[in-house]
Amino acid sequence: MARDLKTISSRMVITVLLIHAVMLPLLSYGMLAVVRNVQEDVFVDSVRIYARVFADILQTNGELPPENEILASLDSSILGGRCIHAALTLGDKLYLSSLMAVTDAENFVEDYEFGEHSDNVYYLSTPLQIGDEVAVLEMGFDELPTLQEIEGARRTIISIMIAYLLVTVLLVVVLSAVLSRPLQRLRHDSRKIASGDYSRQMSTDSDIFEINELSRDLEHMRSTLVGINGRLEAEMASRETAESERRAAETHLRHMHRLQSIGTLAGGVAHEFNNVLLPLLLYTDLALEDLPSDSPVRPHIERVMRLANRAKGLSEQILTFGRRSEDGLKDVADISPVVDEAMSMVRALIPASVGIQTDIRRPVGPLMCDSNEIQQLIVNLCSNAYRAVLKVGGRITIGVASCSVSSEFAAQYVRLDAGEYIRLRVADTGEGMDAATVARIFDPFFTTREVGDGTGLGLSVVHGIVEKHGGEIIVKSELKVGTTVDIYFPESPEAKVIEVEGQ
Amino acid sequence: MSRVVIIDDEEDIRLVLSEIFDRAGFDVRVASNGDEGLSLIREYGADLVITDIIMPGKDGVQTAYDIRMEFPKTKIIVMSGGGNVAPLDYEPGAITTTAYLASANEIGADMTLTKPFDRHELISAANELIAQKED
Repeated sequence: MARDLKTISSRMVITVLLIHAVMLPLLSYGMLAVVRNVQEDVFVDSVRIYARVFADILQTNGELPPENEILASLDSSILGGRCIHAALTLGDKLYLSSLMAVTDAENFVEDYEFGEHSDNVYYLSTPLQIGDEVAVLEMGFDELPTLQEIEGARRTIISIMIAYLLVTVLLVVVLSAVLSRPLQRLRHDSRKIASGDYSRQMSTDSDIFEINELSRDLEHMRSTLVGINGRLEAEMASRETAESERRAAETHLRHMHRLQSIGTLAGGVAHEFNNVLLPLLLYTDLALEDLPSDSPVRPHIERVMRLANRAKGLSEQILTFGRRSEDGLKDVADISPVVDEAMSMVRALIPASVGIQTDIRRPVGPLMCDSNEIQQLIVNLCSNAYRAVLKVGGRITIGVASCSVSSEFAAQYVRLDAGEYIRLRVADTGEGMDAATVARIFDPFFTTREVGDGTGLGLSVVHGIVEKHGGEIIVKSELKVGTTVDIYFPESPEAKVIEVEGQ
Repeated sequence: MSRVVIIDDEEDIRLVLSEIFDRAGFDVRVASNGDEGLSLIREYGADLVITDIIMPGKDGVQTAYDIRMEFPKTKIIVMSGGGNVAPLDYEPGAITTTAYLASANEIGADMTLTKPFDRHELISAANELIAQKED
């Protein structure tokens, strides 16, 4: 309610009402006074002239007419209209109109102003010089018609004033609506801006100068805000991107340190393991040499030998994971034949029912690499991809191509710098992994397979090989969508070209 | 009969290698550390020394170096368990046995072997090296 009273419309209406509450009664009173005075003056003047003219008629030639004529004249003055009292006094003689009662003559009290007495009759006396005597003509005129006219005028004035007030209020309401509509629109637009919607341009269709000026100023303010907001958003986006890259790089660095730690630990374990394996293998070998071929113990010892050899294989894989020596790297001009050979091994391992698509952008190189390890890496990755599509179906894609790494992309990974790389991609549309699984896939002996089905060393070996080659692994996976493993090997800066062994 | 000295801090390895070389017809002596091995060589002589690389006290590289200096014609095989030498603590700078083997090669070891290896491979390498010495 209080808010409604503070609107432009309310304020204007209240102001107009207050002004008119004071002014209209004053104006009405003034107008009524003027009308009343005019009416009274006209009445008084007309009755006095009437009385004088009648008196002049009665005193023609300075004599009075005969009595019957006097009485007839007095009657005719009453019958003439507004006169209700007519009498003539000459000495002791009183002539009274026969249209009046005798007692009426006693009511005569001379008026000097209209409405002076409450009898609603304007009495006046007019002297007539009759010879040496003075006669007095007493006449009374009815004030009521004039009073009624004054009352009628008063009502008319009040009606006009009321009508004037209503029209004025109506006009004020319309005018305030015309004024407040563009302001309300500006207010609505301002609220939109305050709530963050800067797209709406502020304008009005009003032709009122002040409102137009206000609209232009607000629009200028909006466009300035849009500019500032745009710069702020760009700055925030830039900071968020930088922060996101920093976090990604930190996470990656922690992951790398963890894997290096595990690699060091695994290397130490493998060292001790091999010291145990050597006598185990050699003693078993000696025992087999000593045992007769038909010995019932021989199959058991042969099984021990197989298990020891399996342990030897595991140990070699663990060492591959932990190895950081660059021994065995050679500059290879084009690794696509290495990939071809690896793919022939992959096809031998994976059933033909699984679709494998290759995309090799030849030539790919040069690259400082150990060709055997690159092949092992591809086989291990494809083996995992095959496991991923085995249950849910899907296809495997292997891609190898030279590519440029931008500084923005490189900032997210510890082992990447802006420059030329060879990217090996193994992707599958299999079951995918959750984030927790992805974080651990390079850990030695980590496996999602059933116990006994795989060693959990395949990707650890891949990691060791990539580290040895100074490369970077990026794994992206989504459950029920698939997994993409991208490996970036830095292109060899050496111009020297060495042919791939066996090619 | 060719003389072989085996140096390793692991008793099981000493015993099994001794058995293998004995069966192959070598005159075998074993030592559990580098100094002991050097004493044996000084006392009995050796055509071939097989030494582990990671041992308490004098390591295999130093042992091979001392032998090479004192007995230039003696053939030396250095063997390693692979991996690295700081198994229980994470040390970014942990020395790998690959580095040890490289050092052994530099000071003049005739061959390096990574455990576990095949006994026939070992005997054949030993025969080959001894044959080179005799030439």
